[in-house]
Amino acid sequence: MMAKFFKLGEPLKKERMLSLANIMVMTITFLILGLFLMLVFVSQSTLSYLEQQTQITAFFKDDFGEDQIVSLKEELMRDERVYNVEYISKEDALEIFTEINKDEPLLLEAVTANILPASLNIQTKKVEDLQVLAEQLNQNEGVEGVRYFEEVMSSFQQIAQVIYLLGFLLSGMFLFISFSAIIITLRIFISRKGREIEILKLVGASNSFVQRPIIAQGVFFSFISSFLAAMVIILGALLIEQTYFSGELIVPFAEGFTATPFVLGIATGVILIVSGIILGLLASKTAVIKYLKF
Amino acid sequence: MQKKEQIEFKHITKIYGDGDPVLDKVGFSLFRGDFAFLVGESGAGKSTLVKILIREEEPDEGEVYFEDQNLLEIPKKDFHKIRRKIGVVFQDFKLLESKTVYENVAISLEVVKSSHKETSDLIPNVLSMVHLLDKKDHFPNQLSGGEKQRVSIARALAHEPDILVADEPTGMIDPESGERVMEVLEQINTRGTTILMATHDKDIVNSYKKRVIRIKSGKIVSDKEGGYDG
Repeated sequence: MMAKFFKLGEPLKKERMLSLANIMVMTITFLILGLFLMLVFVSQSTLSYLEQQTQITAFFKDDFGEDQIVSLKEELMRDERVYNVEYISKEDALEIFTEINKDEPLLLEAVTANILPASLNIQTKKVEDLQVLAEQLNQNEGVEGVRYFEEVMSSFQQIAQVIYLLGFLLSGMFLFISFSAIIITLRIFISRKGREIEILKLVGASNSFVQRPIIAQGVFFSFISSFLAAMVIILGALLIEQTYFSGELIVPFAEGFTATPFVLGIATGVILIVSGIILGLLASKTAVIKYLKF
Repeated sequence: MQKKEQIEFKHITKIYGDGDPVLDKVGFSLFRGDFAFLVGESGAGKSTLVKILIREEEPDEGEVYFEDQNLLEIPKKDFHKIRRKIGVVFQDFKLLESKTVYENVAISLEVVKSSHKETSDLIPNVLSMVHLLDKKDHFPNQLSGGEKQRVSIARALAHEPDILVADEPTGMIDPESGERVMEVLEQINTRGTTILMATHDKDIVNSYKKRVIRIKSGKIVSDKEGGYDG
């Protein structure tokens, strides 16, 4: 029967309080990281969605005929910056107006198709092109006015930036705390295993033979914590999908792909677990180099 | 035919702090199959010499050769291979209290990733050599001092080392147990393993009439066969 020196998870038995405290701290770290990632996904998805909805509406003067509007539409469709152009005739405008204001019969009586202008709804590929294109359209003599939702987009982007910064700082802080927690736990472990390590050295154990189980301990703790956080994120995403939002979100950084909150939750969970393993490896290696005098 | 040195200490000097040298240009050789006592009072430098041999300490001057290889030139990360050829036994046994006799000896084989079969074949042989096969499932706290030391010897033998170095192996045990330990060491020596035993136990040295290397104040003052006092 072979002697086994360092049982995986041994600190959980020997230093229960410290180990549990460390696991809690690390789980909170990964939970914050996970929430931050989900927030990034959702906000990026929202931004992508808004970008698709983003459009310029150019209203035309009554004397600017339909054929001229259609000709302008075709010209815009050839513009690289333009994603899509939709022509709204006076009659279409009346239909839309009637639908929006169906509960206002008095208002509807006062409005006819002649009053409402024809328009082109132009979607750009990038938010940055909105203003330039709007200014260009304003130069066109047939255009009476141009409207676009730049302010909404800018505000959303600013809020998103602040959230990213806060999330990044918080995640960084907690990752550092977790990194230190692993090192402290392993330092105590190495100290407690001093006799075993001394004997291993005596009988000719290699550095890697002694280091490997110690590093495994660190990775084990980190993996447990990241796994717990991943489960919370995935279950939370499932709950959100089943309770609030069962639609699909645009997958950021992967054009054309969509995914449900649950699938994004799983992706976040996988990133957390991989991060946990990497954090565990880095911290353990640091502890071994610093405290294992072998 | 001239015998070839197995171990050679050349001009070994070790100084701690600003004090006098603990070892002062110490030099001697051991040949394969030798049994030598390294004697001297406490603080003479015996243990320091043992530690230098197994690279627990490094000398300030001098060289140590093991089978023509300068031990001090071997990178530390590779020294574990040499430790497998040099069995070491210490005064305080250095056993794991939570492991059985069998498991304590198996440690030596686990570090070289021996198979279960190799381990189960070798360990009973080694335990038989030290007359402890019947206590293989005992824990150290169930053993006498002499028995613990024999377990320590068995662990050192598991690698089949070329040389066994014992630093005061009878220091913490009663004389009768010390006799049994010496019998085991002598038996090992007759099988061809070189033994270097550091001790200040006069009775043991005088009983066994082996080569005696005497150290006093860090210097070798005599090196010949005979008793403790020359």
